[in-house]
Amino acid sequence: MIDVRDNWRVLLLLGLCVLAALALFGPLGADSGDTGLNESEQQVSDPTNLQYGLELSGGTRIRGLLEGLIAEDMNTGGEDPSTVARDLASELETDGINVTVRQRGPDRADIELFDRSITASEFADGLSAIGIDATTDDIEDGTTSETRSEAVDTISERIDRTGLGGSSVTTVSSATGEDFIVVEVPGEDRETVEELIGDPGRVQVIAGYPVRTDNGTELQTEEVLTGEDFTNISPAERPGNRNPFPRVPVALTDQAGQRYANLMQEAGFTGEGIGVCDFNATAHDGPREGQWCLYTVVDGEYVYGASMSDGLAEDINAGDFRTNPSFVLQTQSFEEAQQLEVNLRAGALPTNLTIESSSFISPSLAQKFKPLALITGIAAWISVALVVYVWYRDVRVAVPMFLTASSEVFLLLGFAASFGMALDLSHIAGLIAVIGTGLDDLIIMADEILQRKEKVQTGRVFQSRFRKAFWVIGMAAATTIIAMSPLAVLSLGDLQGFAIITIIGVLIGVFITRPAYGDVLRTLMLDDVDRS
Amino acid sequence: MGRIDVERVPYEDYSNRQLIAVPLAILAVAIGVLALAYLLTGTPVALGFDFTGGTTVQFTADDASAGDIRDDLSGFETESVRSIGFGNDYEVETQLEETDELESAIEDRYGDDAIQSVETRSAKFGGDTQREALVGVVVAFLGMSVLVALIFRSLVPSVAVVASAFSDIVVPLALMRVFGIELSLGAVAALLMIIGYSVDSDILLNNHVLKRHGEFYDSAYRAMRTGVSMTLTSVAAMVTMAIVSRLLGIPLLDDVALILTFGLVTDLLNTYMLNISLLRWYKYEGVKR
Repeated sequence: MIDVRDNWRVLLLLGLCVLAALALFGPLGADSGDTGLNESEQQVSDPTNLQYGLELSGGTRIRGLLEGLIAEDMNTGGEDPSTVARDLASELETDGINVTVRQRGPDRADIELFDRSITASEFADGLSAIGIDATTDDIEDGTTSETRSEAVDTISERIDRTGLGGSSVTTVSSATGEDFIVVEVPGEDRETVEELIGDPGRVQVIAGYPVRTDNGTELQTEEVLTGEDFTNISPAERPGNRNPFPRVPVALTDQAGQRYANLMQEAGFTGEGIGVCDFNATAHDGPREGQWCLYTVVDGEYVYGASMSDGLAEDINAGDFRTNPSFVLQTQSFEEAQQLEVNLRAGALPTNLTIESSSFISPSLAQKFKPLALITGIAAWISVALVVYVWYRDVRVAVPMFLTASSEVFLLLGFAASFGMALDLSHIAGLIAVIGTGLDDLIIMADEILQRKEKVQTGRVFQSRFRKAFWVIGMAAATTIIAMSPLAVLSLGDLQGFAIITIIGVLIGVFITRPAYGDVLRTLMLDDVDRS
Repeated sequence: MGRIDVERVPYEDYSNRQLIAVPLAILAVAIGVLALAYLLTGTPVALGFDFTGGTTVQFTADDASAGDIRDDLSGFETESVRSIGFGNDYEVETQLEETDELESAIEDRYGDDAIQSVETRSAKFGGDTQREALVGVVVAFLGMSVLVALIFRSLVPSVAVVASAFSDIVVPLALMRVFGIELSLGAVAALLMIIGYSVDSDILLNNHVLKRHGEFYDSAYRAMRTGVSMTLTSVAAMVTMAIVSRLLGIPLLDDVALILTFGLVTDLLNTYMLNISLLRWYKYEGVKR
């Protein structure tokens, strides 16, 4: 019979191995959710519950920085944030949308500027001009956490709208104080993802119309509608019998409807301007004189120019429009219409996202890595087994040593499966490093406990030797953890997995597998004593 | 029990000065290599794509040689064209601005599915990564030093551990320069891992010599028997991993394994020549003072 009291460490290890097996192959694995790739797209069937990151499943990862300048903790003297924003925008001659004021207390606020053409010193001067004390030193590159989380929401929304499943959008701070937005989309290529997130997606409707002045007529342009004014966005429509151009039907909020209708009447759109707009996307890059046009503008680009139709003009003049302000945004191509729809639904990014790094790996190559990495691991495993056997020439030492080291990897994989950790190549490298340190420690234990110096009496000697061996192992583990912890915390993305797996592996080793091996060695040691 | 024993080194025959001279000379050469490289190129080690920024594209080109590819892509400022793994896969590095053009040129020439992976990185981001990696290595090293000092609570043994860990990092860096291996993120991970491995065998040695009864040479020999077995086992794992992953064309793993191999071999030298002589001096002369 096995003595439970003497072998509880081995039993604990066996129990945990069963749990790990259940996590890996059975019902205890983390819910895989939507991994983006369908089973049919997976080239190599995988019987485990393990989840794989982009490097092992294929897809695109993009890291970007939100462009912006920020003046933190400014004294606004209790002024209303929206007033401050409006004053600053007009002082700096930029769109109101480029200035955001985040209230931080009764008279403090963080002020953000999203216009690349304005320098830090101009920003500081602008702040001073509206009565906020600021010097260039107060201005830093960056954005507020609110802005970043808005951007994360917008990007997630856009990706979801496009039907790309399994993606993730997160923010990561670097040690150098920058806050990156990291977008991961499985199975898609770089261009698709960059197109999706590269532009702020700011939709405007701008009216261009002639006004009479003393010197004849002059072109007047005015922003009539922006993204927030649209509600009930319908799916993009292909050109049909009733509409010659692709379009996105929308409704306007009541307030925006009023404003729009008023301007249309005042500016003459519903009178002499009906049908007077001649827009050619290839030739046009902005409003032209002598025409009454409603331009759809996306990120400053004139996507389409529409004229007022008889029907709509009638509706506006008769007042029907005010009670039912429905509206149509037209585009040149169906793709543009789809993009427009996504932009309208997801909202605009607060500012531009500069792409700092991107990586794409094709699903076919990535999935090839899985079996190849497995082969590498097994090869390393076999060579280690040979070396350990050569050292000890004793199956009773080598085989348990080997099984213990393997159980360490097995427990780690079980851990990864139950927490739904997405494995990448760096994790695999970490796993192999763990086999290395694990075996080192087992060799320390075997040599310490099995030494045949003085006459061994009982379990007492085992205890003291075990404690000595464990002291060395514990200290070595502590240094490894300390050496790895910067990597686990820093945003050097690709290496986080390596560090985390190594640290967890060392912990599992010190607290679970190596003590269990101690129990095995104890039996061996006492066997030796009996025989001698 | 048929434990194969490590050869007993006749330490008695050599003075501390003689023993210490070898690892210190190697360290000096390594520092010399890095310093020279710094003077000539501006960086002690060649910085890879992770730290400089740019674009790398990996693609499959059937029936084409590296020379053909160089000709086909002659319009681009390609920094290197190298073949990967067994198949017809090639990797090309170029400037960030040319990414899209290079991609479409490759797609035109070798088919729409030719591109296997694309990585881009801005120079600024590369620079940030560089700083961050440096901070990471320095923090890890300092943390290790403090911990070692806390463990041994005396100057010489702690210095011995820290000095050999330092040399274990610097010598592989110089070897990277000599063999033309660029510093990548994987290499940084490997360097940090070296700290862990290096300290392992040093702690073992110090512990045997300082905390146990018995004669110096016996204790040292027992520690060495275990330590050398450990390190050689790890070397076996890393050499295998380096060879297999290089043959199979798996990125990251080959860098990590190769640099760890360098580090482990250096560690044998440092632990059993540098560290051991410092300990012997400490045990026989240093303690008396």
